[in-house]
Amino acid sequence: MNKSLRTLLFATVLGVVCSSLLVGVTQVTRPFREANEKAERVRNTLIALEAPVTARTPAAELLVLFDRDIRLQDQAGIPSFAYHPGGVDHPVAIAVPFGGAGVWGPIEGILALEPDMQTIRGVRFYKQEETPGLGGEIASVAFQDQFKGKRIRAADGQPGVRLVAAGAASGPNTVDAITGATMTSGRVEEMLTTLARRLHNGKEDGQ
Amino acid sequence: MSESTKSSGCCGGCGSGIKCMQIIEDGTLKNNPIIHQVLGVCSALAVTGRVENAIVMGIALIFVAMMSNLIVSLIRNLMPRRIRMVVEVAIIATFVIIFDQLLKAFYWDMSRQLGPYVGLIITNCIVMGRAEAYATQNPPLPAMLDGIANGLGYAVILVLIACFRELLGAGTLLGITILPASHYTPNILMVLAPGAFFTAGFLIWIINAIRQPRAETEETA
Amino acid sequence: MNTTPALVILIASILTNNILLASFLGMCSFLACSTKLETAFGLGVAVTFVMVCTTTLNYLLYQYVLVPLGIEFLAFILFIAVIAAFVQFVEMFVERYSPKLYYALGIFLPLITVNCAILGASLFMVIRQYNLIQSAAFGLGGGIGFWVAIMLMAGLREKMGYSNVPVPLRGTAILMLITGVIAMTFMGFAGMISMQ
Repeated sequence: MNKSLRTLLFATVLGVVCSSLLVGVTQVTRPFREANEKAERVRNTLIALEAPVTARTPAAELLVLFDRDIRLQDQAGIPSFAYHPGGVDHPVAIAVPFGGAGVWGPIEGILALEPDMQTIRGVRFYKQEETPGLGGEIASVAFQDQFKGKRIRAADGQPGVRLVAAGAASGPNTVDAITGATMTSGRVEEMLTTLARRLHNGKEDGQ
Repeated sequence: MSESTKSSGCCGGCGSGIKCMQIIEDGTLKNNPIIHQVLGVCSALAVTGRVENAIVMGIALIFVAMMSNLIVSLIRNLMPRRIRMVVEVAIIATFVIIFDQLLKAFYWDMSRQLGPYVGLIITNCIVMGRAEAYATQNPPLPAMLDGIANGLGYAVILVLIACFRELLGAGTLLGITILPASHYTPNILMVLAPGAFFTAGFLIWIINAIRQPRAETEETA
Repeated sequence: MNTTPALVILIASILTNNILLASFLGMCSFLACSTKLETAFGLGVAVTFVMVCTTTLNYLLYQYVLVPLGIEFLAFILFIAVIAAFVQFVEMFVERYSPKLYYALGIFLPLITVNCAILGASLFMVIRQYNLIQSAAFGLGGGIGFWVAIMLMAGLREKMGYSNVPVPLRGTAILMLITGVIAMTFMGFAGMISMQ
């Protein structure tokens, strides 16, 4: 057989075999991958709401929980998630997504509030590209845990959240900033304060 | 010390005379891809911030190296010479994609953490190098073993580096806190880029220092 | 949708997120080809050129072919194919029209095809969801970042010829330690620029 023809034939056969194998694997894994992608979006919401899920909960379980216990609502124009565990009437917590410009890239997070819409139940910064070890620490459990129980309004009623020098957090709406990540901390403060103001104004307008 | 006093590496169990043990020993210890051949260093530095990531990456490479060596060896006599390298890349890429898809389906978290580095196994010099140097010249079983051996050598170094980086950089191993934050302030530099370079450098230094006296003895023997 | 301005991406990939010193891409050729300044310069130029072109091409391929057809999983193979084809064309083009340039750079081009930095840049572009301008900026910045790093290393290695490096450290070990120190110094650029 002509050498070039043989080369072409070999390449074609190889191409077909490899493509079939890949298409096969992709099709088989598609339902799992899509469930994972979907679950990723809801996982952070559920964790912020302190629903009984962890970073390791399987995707299927997450989606079942989401469908059953979460109802979509609107807070000051922001599509939010109300948590009704076990289908109870009154929401136990409400999660409001937020986002903004970080230092190196966009920061996206979700803030979970108690029904009074003042006390923070939890916060998750699930998307950020800040410097690992410095600004990137906003995604750490330690930093995020600080927000639990804090309020989105100062003692004098001014809406906002403040990040202050580490160790100096004393007010009802202040948390420790990250040492060495002044700019990221500033951005986060800005984002949360903007959200707090928006929720505050939305509430005053009677939503 | 001469080679003939060591076992021939063939257990004679399958009657094929293939020196399985020697192949494994060669790939993992004597000719370790990272330490001795200095290949595949990119991902060795990138994914070793956590032991768990290093283990998964190691498994990825063992899988890809094993399968691609096997397939390349099986078709080594059919492959037209002109497109040899293209064929090798295509086969390697196929297995990398398969692993990547499986990871995305069944271990999503890890897939996000490893990021593009799983895909970069395609350009990993170890896999390509062994396919070209060994698999094209040897029968399937030894080729497969060679793939496993080199993958294993790579995985061992990765896990070793990761152990240092995670332990010193975060106080944990496999996520379990070993050095509690109250007693040990984690050295964040270790999980950042410079820490990777330093750990790799020190590791190679130590291994070279251990090998040195033996090398001298062998030369004078 | 990534909203980072292209200029920030460009500067970031040279300084704070240097493709080699922070993302570890391109280590093999970095270690092998940084012995002399001229070699390092040549490789740096070649990598920059190939990177900016292939990142852009791969973006177009991804957005206008792979996504519409739903075959994103073939990205790995097709990116490498684009890179290999591009390098081949460049080699032929340069050899035909500028033999002098070919002799200076030609040897590096085949090396670059399997350089993980080139493929890595395309893969990062997909993960970070850059648009066309951002991808081009990222490719350019990545290439220049690699260029800067390899020039630094080559300069240091030339000077190192006068040093008495202990035997076990010679070769890769000392290079790793040096790269670690360079990486640390680049970390000092953090915070140099910020958005708006």
